[in-house]
Amino acid sequence: MNLNPFWSMSTNTGRKRSDGEEQSGEQQQQRASPARPSFGKKQLPSIPKNAVPITKPASPAATAQLANGTHASYGPFYLEYSLLAEFTLVIKQKLPGIYVQPSYKSALMWFGVIFIRHGLYQDGVFKFTVYIPDNYPDGECPRVVFDIPVFHPLVDPVSGELDVRRAFTKWRRNHNHIWQVLMYARTVFYKINTMEPLNPEAAVLFFRYDKDVQLFKSKVVDSVKLCNSHLFDQPKMDDPYAISFSSWNPAIHDEAKERMFSHKRRPEDHQKGLPVSGLSWVKPGSTQPFSKDDNPPLS
Amino acid sequence: MASMVANGNRDGRQGEALVLKGVDPETCMIVFKNHWAQVVKILEKHDPLRSNTSSNMAALGVIGLSSGGPMRFGGPIPGDEASAVQNYVEHILFLLMEEDAGQAGAMGPILEFVVMENVMERLFLWSLRRQFTDDMKLEQLKMYEMIVGQARQPLLHHKPVLRPLMMLLSSCSGTAGPEVEAELVSLLNQLCCVLAKDQSVLELFFHTSEDQGAANFLIFSLLIPFIHREGLVGQQARDALLLIMSLSAENQRVAQHIAENTYFCPVLATGLSGLYSSLPTKLEVPGEEWHCLHREDWLQMPTLVQFLNSLEFCNAVIQVAHPNIRDQLVSYIYNGFLVPVLAPALHKPTLEEVMTTTAYLDLFVRSVSEPVLLQTFLSFILLHRHENVHILDTLVSRINTPFQLGTVSLALFQTLIGLYCEDVMLQLILRYLIPCNHMMLSQRRVVKERDFYSVSAAKILALTPSCCSPEHSPPPLRQLDSILWSKGTDNSPNTGTMETEETFLEEDGSGYSCVIGSEIYLDVNYLHYLYNARLGISSCTRACQVWSAPYDGEDPPPEESHPHPRPRPPCPPQTTDPAPTNQLELEWDDSYDAGPVVSPEAATAESSKPPQLPAAEPPKHIQEMRRTAIMLVKGSYIEESDFQDDVMVYDLVAKKDARDTVTKGSKEVKAHVADHNSNLQSPLAEVGDDLMGQYEELIRTLGSDEAGTGGSSPVKTVDKEFRNPVVTPMEEDEVDFSSFSMDTPELEKQHSSLFGTKLCSGSTRSHSVPFTGPFVSVLLSRLENMLDNSLHVNLLLTGILAQLAAYPQPLLQSFLLNTNMVFQPSVRSLYQVLASLKNQIEQQASTKKDFPKLITSAQHCLLARESSLKGQDSRECSPLEAGRMMKSSPPPQPKTISLARTEVFATVLFTEFLKELAAIAQEHSILSHVPMEE
Repeated sequence: MNLNPFWSMSTNTGRKRSDGEEQSGEQQQQRASPARPSFGKKQLPSIPKNAVPITKPASPAATAQLANGTHASYGPFYLEYSLLAEFTLVIKQKLPGIYVQPSYKSALMWFGVIFIRHGLYQDGVFKFTVYIPDNYPDGECPRVVFDIPVFHPLVDPVSGELDVRRAFTKWRRNHNHIWQVLMYARTVFYKINTMEPLNPEAAVLFFRYDKDVQLFKSKVVDSVKLCNSHLFDQPKMDDPYAISFSSWNPAIHDEAKERMFSHKRRPEDHQKGLPVSGLSWVKPGSTQPFSKDDNPPLS
Repeated sequence: MASMVANGNRDGRQGEALVLKGVDPETCMIVFKNHWAQVVKILEKHDPLRSNTSSNMAALGVIGLSSGGPMRFGGPIPGDEASAVQNYVEHILFLLMEEDAGQAGAMGPILEFVVMENVMERLFLWSLRRQFTDDMKLEQLKMYEMIVGQARQPLLHHKPVLRPLMMLLSSCSGTAGPEVEAELVSLLNQLCCVLAKDQSVLELFFHTSEDQGAANFLIFSLLIPFIHREGLVGQQARDALLLIMSLSAENQRVAQHIAENTYFCPVLATGLSGLYSSLPTKLEVPGEEWHCLHREDWLQMPTLVQFLNSLEFCNAVIQVAHPNIRDQLVSYIYNGFLVPVLAPALHKPTLEEVMTTTAYLDLFVRSVSEPVLLQTFLSFILLHRHENVHILDTLVSRINTPFQLGTVSLALFQTLIGLYCEDVMLQLILRYLIPCNHMMLSQRRVVKERDFYSVSAAKILALTPSCCSPEHSPPPLRQLDSILWSKGTDNSPNTGTMETEETFLEEDGSGYSCVIGSEIYLDVNYLHYLYNARLGISSCTRACQVWSAPYDGEDPPPEESHPHPRPRPPCPPQTTDPAPTNQLELEWDDSYDAGPVVSPEAATAESSKPPQLPAAEPPKHIQEMRRTAIMLVKGSYIEESDFQDDVMVYDLVAKKDARDTVTKGSKEVKAHVADHNSNLQSPLAEVGDDLMGQYEELIRTLGSDEAGTGGSSPVKTVDKEFRNPVVTPMEEDEVDFSSFSMDTPELEKQHSSLFGTKLCSGSTRSHSVPFTGPFVSVLLSRLENMLDNSLHVNLLLTGILAQLAAYPQPLLQSFLLNTNMVFQPSVRSLYQVLASLKNQIEQQASTKKDFPKLITSAQHCLLARESSLKGQDSRECSPLEAGRMMKSSPPPQPKTISLARTEVFATVLFTEFLKELAAIAQEHSILSHVPMEE
């Protein structure tokens, strides 16, 4: 993982294209993007068509104040590092069946995929995108939008957005973290809640589970099938870090798989090649310098 | 025969080799015998005993060995006969050299003849019988060098070859001129190479030496006197010794012999002392900015180069030698150099001397790479007590001296902290933080807490003085316009979207580029700090993986770390009878030939002369010397095996050293007071009070424009510090300890002085009262005076603090960087000091009209300095200065500002320091939490 401390955002590219006068600069930037190193800067991409318009963009002034510093210029750094911190936290959690990756263009947008391993939605593979408000962590909670609206009481059948806010009514800094949102996105497929549904049809069907059990089940199965049938589609967003699936190609994947399974996560081995620059003669459990037994005697 | 085809590649012998080509062995043998017969004829003519056997060999040999004087039996030898022999011998040896080994490794016929006829011994005797001059020795040495190096069959396995060689070697030791020495060392080096390749010879070397009596393993003993020699000879000798050292790692017998029967380790260690004593006791400091010995500095000082060569050799020996030798050497360096020589040198009576010693110590620590040796130096610094005070405490207290000594001490600590050594950090800081007494009880859980939202960074950056806010700087200092921040989700499509690209951070070559958007300025400069912070923290974190504990407030547990006495440093046995020191010195100086152990007086008198060559003595001279030394110490003869007694000798050396400095010091105790404009030098031996008066006056004038900055009183501080050089050691230490707390809050002050007294009485202070340790205390005190400090002091100071802040240990991190942490009222935090500095700066800015202009000039000046540093090879420039990197595009405007405007430079530096700290805080929030697989 490369956590580059640098990123930048550009305005909505779609809109800018129409802005004739600004076009040249924009294109230059577009051309430059692919050539950047893979760990390069991030930019907020154009808002995807299927995404719900952002409701409440923060004003620059608000960002500046939120930064709690006298200088607006550091605000973006704080935001960037907050998101990097969140991302490292996600990695630490090792959430089962969930994978996310910040987009190339913006730290505020993360691509994800979730694998459902049992239950009604078993075998479902759902791709989604996490949108983080740019006044994070003082804004609303991040939004989770599935690429394809999954048939689920809490998923909007049109936009594909998961109702995250019901779990995080108020986003509290230091208490709420993005991994919790991801965890929640996983949980909804195992424990189904029908209160105030975004998809009333699904909720109703599920509510009448006993009677319409077959109907609900078949809707879910269809939905899972639909999602999985689009698995190999091009990513919805044109971003080098977007998650894309391809069918098994032994030429590529066999070797990668081999490596994954043979790889042993032993950091010590990893470090062995490097000269150890640190020094210690402190015996573990002691707070005395030069307390190790193998110290040569000096007298 | 094919085997007789000479190797045409042999240098210098090609011509003759061609002559031999195709000549069959029988012919060679016949030629050899013929030549030898001629030689024998002449030899016998002059042999008074007319004896063919070697029974009289020993007698003659001994006589021959003991002097280089004429040895004539039966009158002088005519020159024509001598040269005839010389001619024949050349041919003989050439034939021998060119002969191949026989079947299955048997001797070739010529070699067999040489062995049977004792050719080599007789030739050696012949040369003894003539005048055994340096020329003769040179001839013989060259002869052996040639046949040992070029013979095609092993010669040294045969005693009749080996024995005369050994006799020759011992006869050459210690007596000859430089040419012979060079040749001797060259031959010894060659023999060591043979040894390293073929260990079976080793056995023979030992065996043969026994015939010689005292000196076992002669080759080795002969090399010892050259250990500390400068130039090629020394280098060759050291290389040869290193070969033997690596041999010792595998061969227990060699290791045991060297450790138990030779004086290798003591010579090496005391040689360091000797070389050290010839170093200048006062350095000519190039400028006020100077704070440590760089390569280009010490290359100018031959004595220092020589010392470093020997230190490097010790380092190499420790690296390759058998553990027994290694441990012995380390122990001798500790007890024979560090404790008796360096410790007193660190406590010399004048500031300049002490400053010089400190700079040397810093250089030594930087030069040593082998962990075991480094450990020796560190345990000396951390644990050794000189006159009941730890060296470390003394060094720490000196940070507060307002002279160059303070700066040099800072540089030493920069080196120490840069070692990523747990023991160092433990003694300096962590041991005071482990009990967690410095924070409110409720805050203990905060120690490990992570700063998710860069709150600390924001709080630190919020201290940026208004006069330095980025918006106020004109280009090119303001680099804000190189990146503009555009907000992606903004609903204002008409805001400026001029997007260009700019590449920066050229150094890392990753071709960063960024998009310039619309409204928000970004501080490009800050990216450099983030980048450096990332590098610094990553390497520090990696280094600290070898540490024993995470220091996170739980491990080591706060409860258990109750006051513990510091482990006592190893003490050399006490000498009981120091009386005959005078005599001993003479003996010691003359005979301990390894390095010039001269008293300072002698050093000054003879400083122009090269170090004395080893005394002309038989190879047993080392033993002799030692015996006399010990006899003098104890007043009676003591068995040689009583090896530990060497320690006493070191003590005596130390005492001599101490006495010298006292007498010397009392004559010329001086203090060097530097200020903005003038250098005040006053002799203050008996007129201490008078000087103090002058000094206080000086300080008053200096401190006049220093407004009440929260009770910090440079006059008092300086005053106390300054008295150090003239008071007796005991007082000195007390003063040292109270001085760093002069401007610390009342509670802490009490306890730090308590600390001082307690230290003196030999016990440790209790940790029950919040105290973050003298080092932190003294650093923060100096930082608090940032506006009065010179630029380079501030560079060092902020550099050290940034270095500390990069350590990943939560205890340290939370103490230095967590602005949310609630500390005990008596504990001063870095943030508090920074906040107070901001206030001082704002005050200055509001009272001085031209302050903004001055700031701009200072920024230009620093930029220019930066680019000039970049211009040279700034490898040794501190990481901090590299971190200060401000991108300098256009040349700075030539508005000059005097460096004396410390408050202006300090303000600029302060602003940059805030960025540096904030960047470190931000990177910590990421890096310290990334799973280690990365």
